[in-house]
Amino acid sequence: MFSDVRHRLRALLRRGTIERELDDELRFHLERSIEKGVRAGLTPDEAARRARLALGGMDQVKEAHRDARGIALLDTIVQDVRYGARAMRRAPVFAITAVATLALSTAALATVLTLADTLLYRRLPVERPGELVDVAAIRRLGTTPLLSSNEAARLQVLGPVSYPDYLAFRDGARTLTGLAAHYPTAPLFVSLDGDGHEINGAVVSANFFSVLGLRPSVGRFFHDDEDRVPDRDRVAVISSNFWRTWLSASPSAIGSRLRINSADFTIVGVAPPTFSGMTSSPIEVYIPTMMLRVGYRWCEDALAIDCTALQMIGRLAPGRTQADAAAELPTLMPAAWAHAPRGENSGVAVTQPRGLSTDDEEPRLVALLAAVAIVLLLVCCANLAGLVSAQSAARTHEFGIRLSLGAAPRRIVRQLTTESALLSLAGGVAGVLLSRAFTGALAAMFFAVDDEGHPLQYGFSQTPAIVIATIGVALAAGVVFSLVPAIRIGRRPAGVQLAERAPTSRWSSAAWLLGAQAAVAVAMVAVAALLAASARTMLAGRNFDASHVALIRVRPRLVKYSPERAQRFQRELVRRLEAVPGVESVSMVGIGSVLGGSSIGVALPAWDADRRMTAGYNEVGPRYFETLQTPLLAGREFDEHDSIESPRVALVNETLAARLWPNLGALGATIVVGSVPRRVVGVVKDLSLRSRTQAVQPWVYAPFWQNPAQIDSRLAIRTAGDPAAVLPAIARQVNRLDPDVPIAETITLPGRIAALMRPVRVSATFVGYTAVLAVVLTAIGLYGSLAFAVARRTKEIGIRMALGAPRGRVLGLVVREGMTVVAAGVAIGLALALAAARLVQHLLYGSAESDWVFYASAAAVVAVVGLIASLLPARRAAAVEPLVALQCD
Amino acid sequence: MAEPPSRLELPQGTLDLLILKAVALEAQHGWAISERIQQISKDALQVQQGSLYPALHRLERRGWIKAEWGASDNNRKAKFYELTRAGRKALDAQTGAWRALTAAVDLLLDTR
Repeated sequence: MFSDVRHRLRALLRRGTIERELDDELRFHLERSIEKGVRAGLTPDEAARRARLALGGMDQVKEAHRDARGIALLDTIVQDVRYGARAMRRAPVFAITAVATLALSTAALATVLTLADTLLYRRLPVERPGELVDVAAIRRLGTTPLLSSNEAARLQVLGPVSYPDYLAFRDGARTLTGLAAHYPTAPLFVSLDGDGHEINGAVVSANFFSVLGLRPSVGRFFHDDEDRVPDRDRVAVISSNFWRTWLSASPSAIGSRLRINSADFTIVGVAPPTFSGMTSSPIEVYIPTMMLRVGYRWCEDALAIDCTALQMIGRLAPGRTQADAAAELPTLMPAAWAHAPRGENSGVAVTQPRGLSTDDEEPRLVALLAAVAIVLLLVCCANLAGLVSAQSAARTHEFGIRLSLGAAPRRIVRQLTTESALLSLAGGVAGVLLSRAFTGALAAMFFAVDDEGHPLQYGFSQTPAIVIATIGVALAAGVVFSLVPAIRIGRRPAGVQLAERAPTSRWSSAAWLLGAQAAVAVAMVAVAALLAASARTMLAGRNFDASHVALIRVRPRLVKYSPERAQRFQRELVRRLEAVPGVESVSMVGIGSVLGGSSIGVALPAWDADRRMTAGYNEVGPRYFETLQTPLLAGREFDEHDSIESPRVALVNETLAARLWPNLGALGATIVVGSVPRRVVGVVKDLSLRSRTQAVQPWVYAPFWQNPAQIDSRLAIRTAGDPAAVLPAIARQVNRLDPDVPIAETITLPGRIAALMRPVRVSATFVGYTAVLAVVLTAIGLYGSLAFAVARRTKEIGIRMALGAPRGRVLGLVVREGMTVVAAGVAIGLALALAAARLVQHLLYGSAESDWVFYASAAAVVAVVGLIASLLPARRAAAVEPLVALQCD
Repeated sequence: MAEPPSRLELPQGTLDLLILKAVALEAQHGWAISERIQQISKDALQVQQGSLYPALHRLERRGWIKAEWGASDNNRKAKFYELTRAGRKALDAQTGAWRALTAAVDLLLDTR
C-alpha cells in the first residue's frame, strides 16, 4: 500500500525523471535486441527493424507504461500542458498574438461587465441589501413636445413625496421594519473656519442609518428626538471623506461647529467609510429632515404637504417580499392622490435599489457597449480560428508522425484543446488585469465629474463573478477556435500525411472568416468616426462657440437674499467680472441653464387657450448670444434697456419662428409667453444639444432683468484665453463681493458639454478601441493566411516561375487573392456600417450630410491596411527562386 | 510479422508470474527477463516485448519487485529488477495457484 502511494507520487512529481528512465530502459532493450540480431547474421538495418517490430510502437509502449503508473488522466493533462507550453515557446509569435488578442478583447468585455454591474446591478454597500426597497410616487405625464417619443411612450415617472406623505407611509407600513426618507442631492454651502465650499449633502430622517444598517465610524447618528421639531436640532453627520479632508480625521471633530447655508450645526458623528450615499454623487454631510428648510429651497415651506422633496427607502420585515410591500403601500396612499391631476403623485411603486444609474441613457449605453464587446469577441475568435488553423496545418507533419507512431487521434485532439485552453486562460487572466486599467481610465476620463463640476464616485470594481465570467468566456472562445483544426485531425486517417506534406489547395476555407473580419473592421471604423465626429462637433459647439466660455453659478437664495438685494448683487458682480483681465463678455441665465432650459407654454394672441404649445424657456441677460457667439438671424438681442420698466420683449429661435410665423414677419410680432404678451425683437439660430433622433425644440428667451423675482443666476463668461485659467479669479470676485454667497458649478462650457455628452464620448472611445483592434486583427489574419499559403505553395510558385511566369504576375497573384477577400469584406462592411449607424443614431449629433466621408474613409483605411498585409507575403512569393523551390520537398 | 506462428500467446495475467519467476534467482534487466522467458520456455512462449515494461512497472508499484540502476555485463547502464520479500510470497502463492489450476484443468481434460 505504502509503496503504491510512493510510486504514484513519484510518478507524478518526478515525471521527467521517470520518462527519461523509461527512455533509457527501452533504448537499452533495443540495442541488446539489435546486437542479438546482428550476432544471428542479420544486417544492422534489418536487425534494428526487427527489434522495433518486436518491441511494438515506442509511443504505445510509453502510453501503456503511463497507464500502468496509474495516473494517466492527470498525468496526461500535466504532460499536455507542458507540451503545450513547449509548443508555445517554439512558436512565440503565434502564442503572443493569440494571448494578446484574447486579452484585449476579453478586457473590453470585463470592462463592460464592470460598467453594467456598477450602473445597473450592484447593490448598496450596506447590511443585507437584498431586503431594501425604494418606495416612490408614480406620476403620470401628458405628452409635450419636449419629450422625445420614447420618453413620452412611458408616460409616467417616479417622483419624491412630501414630508407629511412620508409619515403616512412610515407609520402605516406593516410589511417594512422601517421606512426612511432622504433628499440625497442637497446643495449645502459649508464653511469651516472661513473656508467655504458647496458640497453635496443629504437631508435624511433619523432612522435612515438604522434602516440601512450602518454603524457610525465615530460618534453617533441622529436620535429620533432630534428629528421631531422643525428647525430646532441643528445636528449633522459627516462622511468619512469629509472628516478626513476637512477635519484631518481628528476625534475632536465630534461636537465641533459647522456652518451650513449660514446656520450653525453641531457635528455628532461620522458615517462609515464604506458608505458614500446611494447615487454617484457622494454625500459629504447629512442633516435631519426637520432641517429640510436649510437644504431644500424650491418650496416656500419645505415640510409642507405640497412640497415633494423626499425619496423613501425601506427595509422589508422578516419573511416579507417586495411583492408584499408593493401590495400594501398603495393602500396607505394619501386620499388626495387618487384624483391628482396629470404630473402629480397618483400611485406608489416599490422597486429594488440596484446600480447607480439614474437615467435611461445608461442602460442603453451599456447595451450598446455590450454588443460591441461581443462583436469584438467574435472577431477575435474568427481571427484565432484562422491563426490556429494555420498553426496546426503547419504542424500537420508533426501530427502525422505522431499518429503514425501510434499516438491515438483522441490524444492529439486533446493535446490541441489543452494548448488552446492554456492560451485562452492566459488571455483571460491578462484580460481581467487589463480591464482594471481600463475601468480606472474610464472612471478618470468620463465618470469623474458631472455636468455641474461636482465630483462623482462610481467605485468601479471587478466582482468575483465578473472575473470568473471573463475567464470563462476566454476559455469558451479557446474551445471554439480549437475545434476547427481538432475536428480535422480527428477525422484524418492515420499515416497518409507523411507523403503529402505540401497540399496545394487554396486557402479559401479561411477566406470567409477573413472577409467577415474585414467587414466588421469597416463597420467599426465608420461608426467610431461618426461618434468621434459627433463628440467633437458638440464639444466645439453647434451654432455657438464653447471653447472660450467659463460658467459659474451664484446662489444668494441659499443664504436668504431678498430679490432686491440679490439683483443689486448680480449687477455689481457682472460689472466686476467684466473688469477681470482676460474676460471679454459676461452674461447670465436666470431660469434654466446655459444650453439647457425649463419649458413654458407659448401662444399667439389670437389663439384659444388649448392651442398653446410648449417651448424651451430661458431668461437671459444682455450680451448672452454674443457671449456664446450664436448668430442672430434678425433683430437684436437683449440689452441694458430691457428692464423691469420697459415693454416686455422676447427672442425666439429659428424653429419657433418658422412654426409661428411661417411667412417670416416674426420681428415685431407679439407672442404670449406663459401669460405675458411679449414683442419679438430678434430671431436666433437654434441652440441645442439634441441628437439626430430628437427634433430641435422651439425656444423662447425673455430678458433676465424683466423678472422682478430674479435671485440666483448662472453666469456665462467669454474669455480671451483658456477659460479654465480664469475660473479661480471669477470665484474670487464673488467671494470678495460677499463671502457667504454660495458658488457652484464652476466649470468650463466644454467641460459641461463633455459631461453631458458622456454616452457619446464613452461609446466613441470604446468603438474606436474596437475599430483599431479589428483593423489590426484583420491585417494580422490576412498576412498570416497569405504568408502561410505562400509558404505552402512555394513549389507551385517555383513551377510557375520555371515555366516563365514573370515575378510581377506572381506578386499580382498573391495580392489579388488577398484583395478579393478584402474587397468583399469592405462591400459587406459598408452595408454593415450603415446598419450600425442607425443603431447609434441617438448618439449622433449634427447633420448627416458629410457622413459619406466617414464611410469612404473607413473603406479606404481597411483597404489600404489589407493591401499592405497582402503585399508583404506577395513580395516574398515573388522572391522565390525556382530552383530552390523545386528542390524543397 | 516474421515470428513463427507456432508460438503460444500468454494467457491473461500469467506474464506477472513469469516475470516474478525470471527475477527469482537474481536481479535482471528488462531485456534479460524477456530473453530468459523465451530461452527457458524454448521459444514456445512469446512475450510481447512492448507489454513487458508496463508489467514491470505494475509489479514495482505493487511492491513485488524493486528496481535499481546498475551496470550490465558489457558495462552499460541498465535498470535491474529483483524480487522483494512480498514478491517472493506472491510468487509462491501464485505458483501454487497456477499448479492447482493446471492440475484441475488437466484432470478435466483427461477425463473421458
